[in-house]
Amino acid sequence: MKYILKVFSATFMSLILSFSIANASSGVFKVSHDLGFGKDTNLDAITKGRLFQVVIKTQNRLVRPDMNGVPSPSLSTDWSANSDATEWTFNLRKGIYFHDGSAFDAPDVKYSLMRAKDPDIGSPVRKSLNVVEDIEVVDQHTVKMKLSTSFADFPLLLTDYRLRMIPEGSGDTIGQTGVGTGPFMVDKFDPEGTTILKANPDYWEGAPGVAEVHVIAIPDAQARIQALLTGQIDMNRYVPFNQKKIFDSNSKFTTSVIPTGNWRGVVMRTDTAPFDNPKVRKAFRLAVDRQELVDLVMGGAATVSCDTPVMPSDQYRLQMDCPQNISKAKNLLREAGFPNGIELTVYPATLEPTWPTIAEVVQQQVAKAGIKVNIEMVPSKGYWNEVWMKKPVSMTRWNQRPADTILHEAYHSGAKWNESYFKNADFDKNLADARSELDFNKRKKAYQNAQMTLWEQSGTMIPYHVSRLVVTSSKVKNLDAVDHFSIQWHKVKVD
Amino acid sequence: MENNLITEDKQKNKLEKAFEILKTMASKPSGLIGLTIVLFHVVLALTSPYIAPYDYKAISPNTMLLAPSAEHWFGTDSLGRDVFTRTILGGRTALTVTFFGSLIALLWGGLLGIFCGLVGGKIDDVVMRVVDAFLSIPWILAMLLIVSLLGTSTEVLIPALGFFYGKGIVRVARAATHDVIAKDFIVSARARGHSNMSIIWNEIIPNVRDAILVEGAMRWSWMLLGFSSLSFLGFGVSPPTPDWGLMISNARGLMSFAYWSVIAPIVGLSSLIIGINLTADAFAKALGIDRSTKAPV
Repeated sequence: MKYILKVFSATFMSLILSFSIANASSGVFKVSHDLGFGKDTNLDAITKGRLFQVVIKTQNRLVRPDMNGVPSPSLSTDWSANSDATEWTFNLRKGIYFHDGSAFDAPDVKYSLMRAKDPDIGSPVRKSLNVVEDIEVVDQHTVKMKLSTSFADFPLLLTDYRLRMIPEGSGDTIGQTGVGTGPFMVDKFDPEGTTILKANPDYWEGAPGVAEVHVIAIPDAQARIQALLTGQIDMNRYVPFNQKKIFDSNSKFTTSVIPTGNWRGVVMRTDTAPFDNPKVRKAFRLAVDRQELVDLVMGGAATVSCDTPVMPSDQYRLQMDCPQNISKAKNLLREAGFPNGIELTVYPATLEPTWPTIAEVVQQQVAKAGIKVNIEMVPSKGYWNEVWMKKPVSMTRWNQRPADTILHEAYHSGAKWNESYFKNADFDKNLADARSELDFNKRKKAYQNAQMTLWEQSGTMIPYHVSRLVVTSSKVKNLDAVDHFSIQWHKVKVD
Repeated sequence: MENNLITEDKQKNKLEKAFEILKTMASKPSGLIGLTIVLFHVVLALTSPYIAPYDYKAISPNTMLLAPSAEHWFGTDSLGRDVFTRTILGGRTALTVTFFGSLIALLWGGLLGIFCGLVGGKIDDVVMRVVDAFLSIPWILAMLLIVSLLGTSTEVLIPALGFFYGKGIVRVARAATHDVIAKDFIVSARARGHSNMSIIWNEIIPNVRDAILVEGAMRWSWMLLGFSSLSFLGFGVSPPTPDWGLMISNARGLMSFAYWSVIAPIVGLSSLIIGINLTADAFAKALGIDRSTKAPV
């Protein structure tokens, strides 16, 4: 009997031990970032210099997009609206703790979201969140958000990747600590070197699959590819499609192509001559052959866009064709007082590997309409502070956002990141009408009217929405084949 | 009449001397190879616009990354452009910028070095400390700062490169001047009351010219490498101008499966640098200058 008990105990202990080992976080997952915000890089998700490669792993949202982009529970378990969608009640998940040990509750939600609306902080997300008038703490695990207008898609707005929950009163330190409720905790923050994240063993969805995440600053795109090839990093989500062959035939890597709402573009400042004339802006945009750009820059892996930032899969996207039209572009330039064309300079940096190629192809395309483009390369480091929204023409790239968010954030006359300094009363009115409209078809019409205004007047040439070529080391397992902001990072494992 | 005859004789002597130097340079295999390569590149740079088979700017998704064939001898790049066309045109800007940059370096570096060597004293001390200070700054960082502030046009690159590559020539010219300054003919010239400018022009330059020219030739090849490095980093020639450094930079990521797009510009750049180096070495030997015994500057 003793012998049987001994055998049973040993087997039981072995099982417990192997189960613990199997579920313990182990291994290091190494990723990179491009240091595009230079010295302003920080861990406060709502600021311009947020290092999103870190905050998306350390902090949670109330609502997150599921694999299809539909709002799904995160720190909020469920929600409901009143009859005219002006009040939204969110029930919060119980038993959740921040990395600093404090409990997550309703006052934290109020603090986090109201802080994003603070004009002194001047968050880029403030414009789209202005619809929230007040947040009432109903009890420790219930909040009621009162909106200035009806907004049937409000939960979609809360899926914004920057609307992360942080402890009440932590605003002064969050930029360095990155404290949240996420699967990883900041161990060392070194924006110009290696930032180290440790697994949060008490994460509410289960312990993360890896013990550490290293986020390494590598400003140059080719250097990031070399880092991946040599094993310095385990994932690169910005590999140009013309380099896919390098990884396709190599068993050490796994490639996946993910359609996204991310876009690249060329921005003309609408407050600066000659781009203050809408005809000049439209002439430039008409002179671009978007399909050729898709083929040459993306190897065909992108969806043509007619200068709308709304992603191809979004229900509110305006579908239209916009082939290159050189004669119309020339006519517009002539009408604008430039019969001999115009000359402009663009400033690409290699922080986005496709920018130099986009600039080179556009240079050739628009030359046919009499638009001379000079290309002047600039350093990657600090691009967003020194070039973007500063030079008359700059290159841009955006990650996907819901239609309402991106239209507000990039084009509304009061938006902080209105990169082309676009001001159009009809456009702003259409966005306001869309938000307050409860009828889906009418709401859709208003969003599409706004996009049509962009096609006629906008200063941003958006040739396509990219499909992302993600290359990972074959050691990396369980990585969701979706965009950055929908990935559930705690599931990732490294063999 | 007599003066004209003397001038003609002098010119004839100069031509004969130049021919003799060329002959001596070509008498050694390394010199002959160097001269041939440099001559080939210069001729190519001059004639390439007329012999290029395609438009160097012509992009097309239908001809992306084609392997070498009868139609495209060196294949095509990632934007469908003919690599042969871009390679033969790729040396023109580099040669032009670095040639004029070297001339500027020779002029200011040589004259300042000779002047400091001649006058000596506090002026020499101050100038040489300033030169030393500039020599301690990595040229690539200083160049990046300049092109970031002033742009990447040839009007900026030529004087900027000329300045940074002239610093070393100051030291060589000064050292060469020290070699001749104690000689009798300088002392005599001073005794005759000749001005510093007159002594520099008539007595020193003819005696230090060869050493400075050889140094200038070597600096040319270094400047070529420096200029291509700038282009490689994206701060040299602007697209779509074909340039070897830029071509290598654009194609480096494709090396493992589209080697043709990167090999041709690498061969073009390295062969020209080797050619200039061999020529400069042969030039030094033909003038009786032993570079191996010179202290590094």
